[in-house]
Amino acid sequence: MIAPPMPIAQEAPLTPRRRGAGAITVLRELLRRPNGSIGVAILVIFSVFAIVPALFVGPLETVITADGPRLGPPSAEYPFGTDELGRSMLNLTVHATRISMVIGLLATLITVGVGVFVGILSGYVGGRFDAVAMRIADFFLVMPTFVLAIVLTAVIRDVVGSVSREIAGIRLSLLIIVVVIGLTSWSSTARIIRSQVLSLKERAFVDRARVIGASPGHIMLRHLLPNVTNLVVANAVLTFAGAILTETTLSFIGLGDPSQPSWGQLLEASQRASAPGLGAWWYFVPPGAAVVLVVFAFTLVGNALDEIMNPRRRARG
Amino acid sequence: MSVRYVGRRLMTAVLTIGMIVLLNFVLFRMMPGSPERILLGRIPNVSSEVLQATRERWGLDKPLVPDQFVAYVGSTLGGDLGFSYGERGRPVAAVLEQHLWPTLLLFGLGEVVAIILGLALGAYSGWRRGGLIDHIGNGVSLVLYATPYFLLGMGLLLVFASGLHWFPTFGMSDVGRQYKDAFDQLIDIGRHLALPLATVSLGLVGQYAILMRSSVIETMTEDYITTAHAKGLTEGRVLRSHALPNALLPTVSLVAINLGYVIAGAITVEIVFNWPGLGTLTVEALESRDYPVLQGIFLLLSVTVVFANLAADLLYGILDPRVRT
Repeated sequence: MIAPPMPIAQEAPLTPRRRGAGAITVLRELLRRPNGSIGVAILVIFSVFAIVPALFVGPLETVITADGPRLGPPSAEYPFGTDELGRSMLNLTVHATRISMVIGLLATLITVGVGVFVGILSGYVGGRFDAVAMRIADFFLVMPTFVLAIVLTAVIRDVVGSVSREIAGIRLSLLIIVVVIGLTSWSSTARIIRSQVLSLKERAFVDRARVIGASPGHIMLRHLLPNVTNLVVANAVLTFAGAILTETTLSFIGLGDPSQPSWGQLLEASQRASAPGLGAWWYFVPPGAAVVLVVFAFTLVGNALDEIMNPRRRARG
Repeated sequence: MSVRYVGRRLMTAVLTIGMIVLLNFVLFRMMPGSPERILLGRIPNVSSEVLQATRERWGLDKPLVPDQFVAYVGSTLGGDLGFSYGERGRPVAAVLEQHLWPTLLLFGLGEVVAIILGLALGAYSGWRRGGLIDHIGNGVSLVLYATPYFLLGMGLLLVFASGLHWFPTFGMSDVGRQYKDAFDQLIDIGRHLALPLATVSLGLVGQYAILMRSSVIETMTEDYITTAHAKGLTEGRVLRSHALPNALLPTVSLVAINLGYVIAGAITVEIVFNWPGLGTLTVEALESRDYPVLQGIFLLLSVTVVFANLAADLLYGILDPRVRT
C-alpha cells in the first residue's frame, strides 16, 4: 500500500493566498503615511490632467489657433502667460502632461518587463545564461546610459526614416524614445529581481513544486513571479520617476517631437527662445514645476512603499 | 590588496571597454550612408585617390568581420576617430580635445564642491538624525534630486544673470574682449563659471548628502560604535574616529557609479549656459547629424566612466581590507 500523499499545499501555500487583500493593505498603509498620501494625491491630480486635458483647458493650442500676445507675462486671461507664438502656457503645460506621463508609463513597462524577465530567468536558471546576462547588466550599469540613449535615439531615427508615422496612435518619434529608455535602464531592475530569486529558489515551496513535477516555466511564472511582485511594484514606481526625467532631458537636448509637446519639449522651446535670459520665467516655470512635482511624488511613494514592504527598514524607521 | 583582486578589476574594465568599442562599431555600421562618406564627412571634392586611400586604411574593401572590425579597433586605439561632418572635416579627436577642457574644468570643480558639501551635510544630518538640519536637508535633497540640472540652471540664470545682472548669461568669456593680463582673463572666466558651477554643485549635493546620510546611519548600528560609546569616548570622538572613516567607504564607489548620471547633467547644464564643452558639442552634433563626433563623445565619456569605476574599485581595495580577496 502506498500512503496517500501529504497535503503539502495546506501547510504552506504554493502561491500566497489573498494576494488581492495584500494589495489593499499596502494601499491603506501607503495612504496612512504622510509622504505616501501626499505623493499619491499629486499623482492622482496629474493623472486626471493626462487623461482629460481638454476638460480643463480646451483643445491643444497650435500656431494657427494661438491668439495671445507674444511671450506675454501672466495675466487674467493667460494665468501662466504665453510663449513666443502666443500660445497659452497653461494650455500647453496641461496637455504636455499626457505625453510625458504616457512616455514614462510605456518606458517603465518595458524597463520593468525586461528587468523582471531577465532577473527571474537569470536567478532561477543560473549557469551560463546567468553569467552572460549579468555581464551585460553590469555593462549597462557602468555605462553612462544617457549618452548611449542620445546616440541610439539619433541613429534609430535616421535608420527608421520618417518618424511622423503612427503606431497604435503614438508617433514613432515618441516610441523610439520609449524603446531607448527601456533598453538602457532595465539592468538595475534585473539585478534586484535576480538577487531576490536567488534566495527564493532555496525556499521549500520551490523544492516542493519541483518535486511534484512542475516545469521550470511554471515555477518561474506561478511561484517566483508572484513572490517578487512587491519588489517589482516598489521598483517600478522609482523607475517611472527616472523615465520621466530621462524623457525630459532627451527632449530638452532636442530629441523630442515639437508637434507632440511634453514638458521636456516645452523646456527646450523656452531655452531656444532664450526665456531665462529674457526674464520670461513663465515660459519654463510651469513645465519645470510639473516635472519636479511628479518626480518628487513618485519618489515619495517609492520611499513609502519601500518602508512598508521592507521589514528591515520598517524596524529602523 | 592581492594581485588577483587587481587582476580581476582590470579584466572587468578591459572587457567593458571592449564591449563599448563593439557597440560603437555596430552603431557605426547601422548608420545610413556608406561608411567612407561617414568617415570623410562632408569634405567637399574628395578625390578618388583619397577615397581609395580611406577605403584601404579602414579596410572597407574587406569583409565586415573580422577585417573591418580589426581595422576599426586598431584605428580607434590609435586615437583616429574619423572626421567631423560639422566642423569642415576636422579630425574628431581634435574637436573632442578642444571641448574637453571646459567640461573638465566645470565638472571637476563641481564634483569637488559637491562632494565636500554633500558629505559634510549628509554626515551631520545622519549623526543628528531627526534634528532640524536633518529635516530641512532631507526635504531639500529630495526636491533637488527630482529637479533636472538644466532646470536648476535656468532658475539661477533667471535670478542672478538676467534679474540681478551679477553674472554674464552665456559663454566662457566675454566675446572679443582684450585682456590686460592673465589675471584679468582668469577673473572673466571665473565670472562666467560661477553660475554653471553653482548649478552642477547644487545638483550633485543632494545625491551625495543622501548617500552619506544613510551610510552614517548604517554605520551607527555597528557593534564597534556601541563599544566606542561604552569606552566612554565623547560624542565627537566617536563620530570622527569611529563612525566617519567607515561611513566614508561606500561613498567612494558610489561617487564613481554616480559619474554616469553626472554626465547626463553635464550635457544639459552646458546647454543652458552655452558653456563651450562636450555637452554643447553633443547638441551641435545632434543638430548637424555629425555622427562621427557623436560617437567620439560616447566613446570618450563611457571609457572615462569605466576608468573612474576601476580607480574607485582599486581605491576601495586599499581603504577597506575586507575586500582584498
